[in-house]
Amino acid sequence: MNKILKVARREFFETIKTKAFIIGILLAPVIMGIAFLFIRFQEKTLTGPRPAKKLALLNLSEEVSAELDSAFAQHNQSNPQRQIVLKKYSEENLPGADARVQELKEAVREGEFDAFLFLGKGVLDSVGRGQFYTKKAADITFFPSVRYLVNDAVFKTRFRQRDISPELIAELRRGVPMDEVDLSGKVEKKRNKVAMMFVPLAFMFLMFFGIFAVSQVLLMSVIEEKTSRVIEVILSAVSPFQLMAGKILGIYAVGLCLISLYGTVVYATISYYGAGDVVSAGMIVYFIIYYLLGFLLISSMLAAIGSACNDIKESQTLMQPVMLLLMIPLFAWFIIVQRPEGTLATVLSFIPPMTPLVMILRLAAHPDLPLFQIIASILLLAASVPAVIWAAAKIFRTGILMYGKPPSLRELIRWVRYN
Amino acid sequence: MPGDPLVIDSISKSFGSVEAVCSLSAKLPPGCIYGFLGPNGAGKTTTIRMVMDIIHPDSGQLRVLGQSSIETVRDRIGYMPEERGLYRKMSVKNVIAYLGSLHGMDKAGLDRAIPRWLERMELSDWGDKKVEELSRGMQQKLQFIATVINEPELLILDEPFSGLDPLNLDLLKNIVLGLRDEGRSVIFSTHMMEQAERICDYILLINNGQKVIDGSLEQVRAQYKSNALLVELEGETDFIRKLPIVAGVKKEDRKLEVSLAGGADPQEFLKTIVDKVRVLSFEVKAPSLHEIFVQLVGGEADE
Repeated sequence: MNKILKVARREFFETIKTKAFIIGILLAPVIMGIAFLFIRFQEKTLTGPRPAKKLALLNLSEEVSAELDSAFAQHNQSNPQRQIVLKKYSEENLPGADARVQELKEAVREGEFDAFLFLGKGVLDSVGRGQFYTKKAADITFFPSVRYLVNDAVFKTRFRQRDISPELIAELRRGVPMDEVDLSGKVEKKRNKVAMMFVPLAFMFLMFFGIFAVSQVLLMSVIEEKTSRVIEVILSAVSPFQLMAGKILGIYAVGLCLISLYGTVVYATISYYGAGDVVSAGMIVYFIIYYLLGFLLISSMLAAIGSACNDIKESQTLMQPVMLLLMIPLFAWFIIVQRPEGTLATVLSFIPPMTPLVMILRLAAHPDLPLFQIIASILLLAASVPAVIWAAAKIFRTGILMYGKPPSLRELIRWVRYN
Repeated sequence: MPGDPLVIDSISKSFGSVEAVCSLSAKLPPGCIYGFLGPNGAGKTTTIRMVMDIIHPDSGQLRVLGQSSIETVRDRIGYMPEERGLYRKMSVKNVIAYLGSLHGMDKAGLDRAIPRWLERMELSDWGDKKVEELSRGMQQKLQFIATVINEPELLILDEPFSGLDPLNLDLLKNIVLGLRDEGRSVIFSTHMMEQAERICDYILLINNGQKVIDGSLEQVRAQYKSNALLVELEGETDFIRKLPIVAGVKKEDRKLEVSLAGGADPQEFLKTIVDKVRVLSFEVKAPSLHEIFVQLVGGEADE
């Protein structure tokens, strides 16, 4: 045990002296700054100004025309960042109108307008229909707001025809002011919804970085000891297992330092967005547990891979399967955050290499996850760690003395079984 | 130091279909230099790695410093592997201190031992330099310091002198001999038979993973008496070639190297020639280890 600690101590101090580590530390604020700007940008696109939309209108129901004009005018007045520029065309009867419809559809296709709205005869009596032509169907807010304005104009026209003042209706339909209050944290409060989406992502990135990026430092350290031929000298004093364990422990300490540093910056960022209380004591405890187990799992895999290779390039090939597994939560984060108790989120939680990433994502998105799922995922992870370390130690023992052609995945498995 | 520092009991190791070491047994007497000899690929390094428990033998047993598990005695062993290197970015002193502490040395012990060894190896001015700034020869001396810093009872040196210039070679050789004289045991692995002859007390000859012969250098030599003689003669010597007990004659400077036919007694040869020529010197040539080796395993060992 004493020797493991000695190896760990050297590993820790030699690593934090390297340029790569210092750059990594300096990079922390830069990365956080980028994340910060990213959230700002997302907010802007949801609430900030957008270019005015050009809408061509061919309305055959003359009777709603006046209210339509005022509805759009009112919209533009109260939504200065969501302007709709209306261009009206008129055609009395259908044969002529038909040609005009074709012409305006073509104009939308060519990008002259963002959309073209056609209202048939008799919309007031629900006989006529409307058609909304656009190339930008991906813009999910444009059509609903136009539809709302058209309906509003039609309602108001009907009220006026029955001598009811639309102002009275508006007065009668006044709603009750309401706030959405989030109860997932300790403090009840209104939240910045955009920031809320990114808090789980920040947690997952912290975990991903802490596990994968830091484990790669270990991989490089193993390869360096191997290529500099120092490894067998060290093995005169310690056993291969002690060496591997010491290195993992030393790099884990490095990881903890980086995580605390980055974590503080992340916490400052999300606190700024009023979501700091997501970071509860329980969350930190979970993070530490998942980080420890996840790091042991991945770093022992990478130590084994490093021991089998002679340079970084060779290790890339063997690392691909591990990489791919860890990438899945990164791609699926949006689905997991939206539905933290969904099937995908639950299934991914129980695939050990992914467990820490998926679970921290789910816990940040939904702190009331069923306790048995949390415990089960920790137990599964904890059970897989000794198994992986056992296999990794066998590969490590064989690999560190092998020079020349790197082994295939099948050969690695053979080393585990053979020794 | 009671007991034999190393007992190897019929260990075997295969890599796939290749049998690297095959049922090898040996016993290392204390306080001597024990040569592991054999051509490249004979199984020397594999055997040493099994002794160090870096690889596990498929079968057989080992006792190192009286223990069946090396883990408890690692701190009392110094091992210089054939594949060696040091942390290039660390300073000379820190590297030695790290390896020393891994061998269980405390700070006080290191503070005493490091300057002493640096001075002995003429590296005193380099203590604070990074390892990568040292020349190859210096790095090798540093490697040696790292091996002996813990004052090991058993020293295992795998091809320790390869790549050294003659001056440094002498320096290291004298230190190894000195350590032996202090009562430490040394395993010295090499494929250079001449080197081994000059330094070893005992030898173990291996070929193709199997023991060819072992014993003290004198024993081995005595067992394989050469039938070659070195004679310096005055007078007509052509008749020697025609003697029935002579197999061949080779001229070497002013001397003749005479190979006798199998079973012939050098005494007999001397009697035959002493009447015909004047004998200035007569020497029964001691067989070199190389010759013994060639004799034992045939030409395949020639490098």
